[in-house]
Amino acid sequence: MSKAAALWLLAGLCLGGQEAREIVEEAQRRSRAASERYEGTLEVTDARGRVASKRWIYQRLGSHGDSKAVIRFTAPPEVKGVALLILNHPERASDQWMWTPAIQRERRIALQDRSTRFFGTDFSFEDLEERDVNQYDYRLLGEESLEGAACWKIHSQPKRSRASQYTHSILWIRKQNYTFARIENYVGAELVRRAAYREVSNVEGIWTPRLIEMTDLRRRSRTVLRLEKLQYNLPMKDADFTLQALRREF
Amino acid sequence: MRGPAALVWAALAFGQDFSQRGFLEMRLTAYPQVAANDRGRAVAAALLRYEASYKFSPGWRAAAGLDARSDTHHEVERRWALGWQDRERQRPAFTLRRASLLYSRGPVTLELGKQFIRWGKADILNPTDRFAPRDFLGVVDSDFLAVTAARLALGAQTDTLETVFAPRFTPSRIPLANQRWAPLPAGIELQEAAPRYPGGPQFGARWNHVGAGLEYSLSFYEGYNHLPLFEARLSGPPARPRLQAERFYPKLRMYGADAALPLGWVTLKAEGAWFRAPAGSADEYLLYVVQLERQAGEWFLVGGYAGQKVTRVGRGPGFAPDRGLARALLARAGYTIDARRSLALETAVRQNGDGLWLKCEYTQTLGLHWRITAAWTLIRGAPSDFLGQYRRNSHASLILRYSF
Repeated sequence: MSKAAALWLLAGLCLGGQEAREIVEEAQRRSRAASERYEGTLEVTDARGRVASKRWIYQRLGSHGDSKAVIRFTAPPEVKGVALLILNHPERASDQWMWTPAIQRERRIALQDRSTRFFGTDFSFEDLEERDVNQYDYRLLGEESLEGAACWKIHSQPKRSRASQYTHSILWIRKQNYTFARIENYVGAELVRRAAYREVSNVEGIWTPRLIEMTDLRRRSRTVLRLEKLQYNLPMKDADFTLQALRREF
Repeated sequence: MRGPAALVWAALAFGQDFSQRGFLEMRLTAYPQVAANDRGRAVAAALLRYEASYKFSPGWRAAAGLDARSDTHHEVERRWALGWQDRERQRPAFTLRRASLLYSRGPVTLELGKQFIRWGKADILNPTDRFAPRDFLGVVDSDFLAVTAARLALGAQTDTLETVFAPRFTPSRIPLANQRWAPLPAGIELQEAAPRYPGGPQFGARWNHVGAGLEYSLSFYEGYNHLPLFEARLSGPPARPRLQAERFYPKLRMYGADAALPLGWVTLKAEGAWFRAPAGSADEYLLYVVQLERQAGEWFLVGGYAGQKVTRVGRGPGFAPDRGLARALLARAGYTIDARRSLALETAVRQNGDGLWLKCEYTQTLGLHWRITAAWTLIRGAPSDFLGQYRRNSHASLILRYSF
């Protein structure tokens, strides 16, 4: 390869990386909100077609990489009260604690344990983190139509400073409203989890997918999460996103 | 129209701030072997538990819980009375399980009343968990009892100081003398005197630090052991000896620490406490647990060692399940088969081989409300060992639970 051709390729890769990063940044900017709350309905379908239903309430204060979130199960009665506290950091992986009311104890979810499924759903603990644009390197792979929507297709790779179960991910972002259409997560060459984002609607000025379907391709199971009663920018307090708060809620 | 609208509004508001949960559980336990003091092989028990919480202002919340139970083996009282002190020998048929008022504002949390307080980070055995008496009627299948206390926590996340003042002592419930979990030698009649409960208060403080990876805490407790010692005297003719026993709860001072450190592949957890006996009646000892924990795929694995170093020998025999699990290898494993089914295994093996406890459990949920659990507990060992003394109490259990 000539020096000129190599320079052109390098320049193309840099520009591709720059453009991809700008797309993700714009997607992040458009979905920014001071807080978020929704009631999630989950349907977990295993490889044999059996369905289990769960419900949780999700509350988040802050946005993208500098936020705090609490997920608290409300159904089935067996797991009612089980909660997860997530503290997202811009420079490193999140801190997570799970509260189990039956034994009145919280347990920190260690970084190496984040690939585990979250309470029988197909979301891993890591999948519940908020992803900040600065924690990944990006490369634009091209454009592709997905379920009738024109999308950018972007390769995303966690930076070394960030531990992740996934070696890389492929993102599809809708051109029309900068919402995610799909994320495919890989370990090496193996596609392990696929998240599809559907039923996009405008909620208080933020285009939001109201249905997320997470498929675990190793287990051949999937979880459909529906976001109900979604609200943004509600007044919330820092003190409600702490270990003490996790314990005191019923 | 204002009246009905206000009522609807109040109902909606109440609904948002009111939360409840509970279950009805039926348990059948079968023992293949009879015990010297208990010929029963099967025990059926039912428990109805209801807990509710109401947040009546942004900072205030009230929580209460009630238990109603019955059984075939007289572990449960046959009295129509509501127990709240947890000092009864048998389990009360009706118990106020918890009743507390909680105030929180910013970094301040204050809880008053009958409540659950858990300290420590280890699994299976927590030496620093001093405000957590238990119902040990079934020794290896124990349940926590609440304590009547005032708890003040300052700090929210990185550093928290928790102080506890318990004006009234709550003992652990120990096995009934005429039943299989009190393994008395055959032919000895037990006469139990009324226990001596301490009148003084208990106090504890715990500082907990949460770092980017490492978590640790230091704790202090001044009060009484919730596990009893016995003053025992043998009397009567040699042909028909009588054991006269009186329970008492020795003074206890504890200096404790616990830590959790995530390493590359596993999380290292350690918890230890040094127990002093100011009155000199009980042993002084160091009790510690070191364990490794890993969650991978569908597996949850914990393995560790519990050790004990006696620094001064006290007097009198006692009932001490916490120390009974010391000098032992401890392990717990859980496997999630699918969204509805799971397996669990717990074990403690004495380092000298004198005692073994192994529990295997299969759980399956049926629909949204039902859960069935089949468990098998194996206990083996020498009669002189804490675990081994229950070697005739291996059992199988079938538990059906309806949660609401």
